[in-house]
Parts: sequence; C-alpha cells; structure tokens
Amino acid sequence: MKPSPGALALKYLFILLACAVVLYPLLWMVTMAFKPYPEWTTVAGLTWLPQDPTWQNFEFIFRGHAEGLVVSLDRTITGPLIASLVTSICGTALAVVSGTLASYAVVRFGLAQSLPLSVLQLRLFPPLAVMIPVMVMWAFIGAVDTWWGLSLIYGIVTLPFAFWLMKTFFEEVPVEIEDAARVSGCSYWRVFYRITLPIVKPGLATCALFVFILNWSDYLLALMLTQKEWVTLPVYMATLTSAMGGQMYGMKAALGVIAAIPPVVFGLMIQKHLVRGLTFGALKQ
Amino acid sequence: MTDQAHTGATRTIRPQGYWVGVARDGQKMGFWFILPTFLLLLFIVIFPFFMQLYLSVTWWTPLEGIPWYSAWEVFSWFDNYLTLATDPRLWGALWRTALIMIVAVPAQFFLGMALAYLFIDQFPGRKLFYSILLTPMMIVPAVVGLMFFLLFQGTGPVNAHLGLPADFSWLTDVNRAMISVIIADIWQWTPLMFLILLAGMLGVPSDQLLAARLLGGSNWQNFVKIILPRMKTVIIIALVLRTVECFKIFDLIYIMTKGGPGVQTETISVFLYKQTFGDLEWSYVAAIGLTILIVLSVIAAKGLAYMARKQG
Repeated sequence: MKPSPGALALKYLFILLACAVVLYPLLWMVTMAFKPYPEWTTVAGLTWLPQDPTWQNFEFIFRGHAEGLVVSLDRTITGPLIASLVTSICGTALAVVSGTLASYAVVRFGLAQSLPLSVLQLRLFPPLAVMIPVMVMWAFIGAVDTWWGLSLIYGIVTLPFAFWLMKTFFEEVPVEIEDAARVSGCSYWRVFYRITLPIVKPGLATCALFVFILNWSDYLLALMLTQKEWVTLPVYMATLTSAMGGQMYGMKAALGVIAAIPPVVFGLMIQKHLVRGLTFGALKQ
Repeated sequence: MTDQAHTGATRTIRPQGYWVGVARDGQKMGFWFILPTFLLLLFIVIFPFFMQLYLSVTWWTPLEGIPWYSAWEVFSWFDNYLTLATDPRLWGALWRTALIMIVAVPAQFFLGMALAYLFIDQFPGRKLFYSILLTPMMIVPAVVGLMFFLLFQGTGPVNAHLGLPADFSWLTDVNRAMISVIIADIWQWTPLMFLILLAGMLGVPSDQLLAARLLGGSNWQNFVKIILPRMKTVIIIALVLRTVECFKIFDLIYIMTKGGPGVQTETISVFLYKQTFGDLEWSYVAAIGLTILIVLSVIAAKGLAYMARKQG
C-alpha cells in the first residue's frame, strides 16, 4: 500500500527531527574540538561552525603545550591512549578466546548446561556492588594500576557477551558438516580448528569488534583499578579539568572526539549484528 | 552424553544439537575448552563472594593498617546491615535510581517504538537515517557525559537557544540537574530500544500484516492487533535489558554532575563510589553490595521462573 504524499512528508519530518536531536550534542562537541578559546562559550554569540578553525586543541593534548597558550600539561594523551589500546585489546582477546572455547563445548559436547545462565548473571549486578572484594584482591596480587590487572577484569566482565554471541554463531553451523569430517577420521580438535572455526570466522570478527567496543567504552573499572601509569582515555578525559584549574572545554572535546571514533566506526561496521550482540543472541536481525 | 541431555538441547532455536555419544577424547577436549571460563568465573564469583561476606560483618577499612584477612579483629556482627537499613542517603540514592528508571526507560521505549514504526517500510535514505539514529549508543558513555556537560553549561548552546541568561544553570540546579541527566540518558539509549524493537517489528510475518491491511484494518488497528502481540518477547527483552542497565547508571552522572548538587543526582552506583573512595567505608559498601546482590538474584530467579511457567 502506497502512503499518501502527506503521510510521507510527515514521516520524513519526524525522522529529520529525530536526526537533528541526535546530531545536536554531537555537532557541538565535534566543532568545539576545532574552536579556539574565545569560541568555547556563547558569551560572544553562538557559533556552530568554528569561525577560526584551529588544531590547537589537538596539538595541546598531544604535545602538552601549544602556541599561544600559557598553560601546559604534565601528561599528554600518549600514555592513556596506549593504555586504552593495550587493555582493551588484551581484555578482548581473553574474553573472546575463553568465551569461544567454552561456548563450543556447551553447544557441541553438551557440557556444563548451567554455564550460560551463570555467565549471564555476571551482567546483572552493578559493578560497584561487587567491587570491594575485587579491589582488595587486585591490591593483594599487585594488579592495581597494571596493564594485566585491568585487562583481566575487562576480559571477565565482557566474557558473557563473547560467550553468548559465539554460542549463537556455533548453533548456526550445521552439525552435518562436522559429522562428515568426523566420519572421514578427523579428531575433535581438528574438526574444531580446521572446519568449524573457519566457518564462524566472520562471527568471530564481529564478536571481537563488539567486545572491543565494550572494553574501550569502560570508565568505571579503569577509574577504580588504575591510578597513574595505566589510566585509560575516558578517565584521563574526565580528570583533565581538575588538573589544570580552568575549564578546558576545547581540549576535553578533542579528547572526546578521539575516544568516540573507534567505537562508532566499529559499531557501524558490525551494525548487522548489533542486535544479536546486545541481546545476548536472543534476537537476530 | 545421555539422551536426557540431548532432549534438553532441542529447546534451543535450532533443533539440531550437539553430538550424541561423544567419545572420551571429545569429552576431554570439551573439559579443556570450558576450563578457562570456569576458572575466570571461579576467580570472580566464588572467592570474592566469601570475601565480601567476611568483610561485611567487620569494620574494616583500608585505612586501619591491618590486612584484609585480619579483619576479624574489628568484627562487628551485623552493624553494617543495621546501618544500611536506616541510612537515609542510601534510600535516597535508591529512590533516585528508581526515578531515573521510571522516567527514562518508558520514554526510551515509546520513542524507540515510534521510530521503529517509521522504519518498517523501505524508503529512500532509510539506511543513512538508520545509521545516524544508531550513533548515540555507540559513543562511549563517558563522552556522552562530557557532551551533555558542555551543552548544559550556563554559557552553552542550550541556554543560548532558549534565550536564557548565562546564570541559568542546569547541572548545579537542585531540580534541573536530574532533568539534564535523564535527558542525556534518553538521548543515549533510545537508539538501543529503536534497534531492538525494529528488529522485532521486522520479524512480524509480512503476509499477516498485508492480510490485515487488505481486510481494511486501520494503521492503528494493525499495530495494536497484529504487530504488538507478536512482539511481546522482544518488548520484554528490551525493557528488561534497559532496566537492568539503568540500575547500574554511573559514567554519565559522575561526569556530568558528580552526583551533585548535594546529593540531588546521586544514584546507587554514585553513592557506592563515594562511600568507597571518599569515606573509605569498605566494609559498609561490602554489606550494601551483598544486599543488592541477594535482592537482585532473588528477583532474577523469580523472573526466570515466571517466564518458564508462561512458556511451559
């Protein structure tokens, strides 16, 4: 049934309105990152596009100082950027590897049928309600403010997503293919490694990107389990103001843009599987 | 594997299951496959649980200078639990968390549902608009906090657009701080509702919808009588997911207002964070955490049992 032109126009109007609402805060931060100091506030009038575009904000956070600015920074973005990358990647590797193996064993060998629900329960609780023993343990084993300590907790908290996502991908592999390989004399390990894994490779990539986004987006865990050396990007961004006294809107916005880019790019790449990932495989698109 | 386990697997979406009669070498491999996950779970669930239980009946804080395992020296019975039952700040924080859930989740639901309805049919530009509308939920929550922090500054664009003076504050005002936080949460998570509900809506068999249209049902009738009943599971998933996540809300609030002004936007997570790092009341936080853990587990078990009964 063709909608009438009036209905269609109304539909576009609503959608454009929704897009405008979505883009409004985004645009303000992105343009802010390229604005010089006088344009940070609307005191001298509201400007959406930078009147005098500048790289000064980015230069400042990467080099610790910038031309025309009296303040300087004792910590540049380099450390937090590396920390974010290292911990997110290691945490993702841990979650994806253990999640993939375990879900395969659950799907194909029928082992540990209670595992899926107990894994899921990890996501139910607010992290802060269970953080006291974690912090005591991390301090006890010397994992506070280390790359492996943060990676370990990242791997654990994103394990449920990796597990459930890979579970749905394995369930989609026809068992007949594996049966055929078994009959031809492949060992179980060979079937898994040479037959099943190549089949679920796209799923594995999706899963890794999805888990990486989650780890990269973390703020709370890094806030609690790092102090200086391995502070991640979001924590660094949030503490930038207090370290320098004045409100450094432009620099913070530049940091926000840098932190926001990888998840948005990866998220759009795996758009097709987002529903599946976010609902623990309960829904597929 | 036994037959009983095999019939259990037929309840999954695809009736094909796992191998029946896996040989011993296969069992062994399965064991090694599960081991890492099992160890991680053991490491993060069993041991911390007992430690939390232990610390929650003491007065231990990291300031005392005694290691955590000697916490029995400051044993306090159930004092922490008695304190939490009458702590006005804790109950205030719980109430504010509930308030955010009551306002934000339904708002996200209705907005997401309306948007999803607009996206059922194909139309030029659908893919582009779809991608734009999904962006907010992919942005790091801490960055969303920063974005709205910038927007709601006295000298920010919101005041400029509404024609309000620069001393009209949002984030430091007793009433408007909460409104700002809720707006930010709705902005970030409506796309998630939209995404899930749209997936559910597209799952409604199109021939049924077409038949209803041909029989002369109005759009509203079709929506209420054909689409909604077939989306029940999806709706439940979306609402449960958002409610659980909303209860955890921290990043956004902590960056926008730090729970302030005063305790006006202090949710349960922000409250626990402040108790942990501001007041260093670790055993008290352990007691609160354990209580939350138990209450949520009971609710989850009841919910699952209810769902199972409905399905069975």
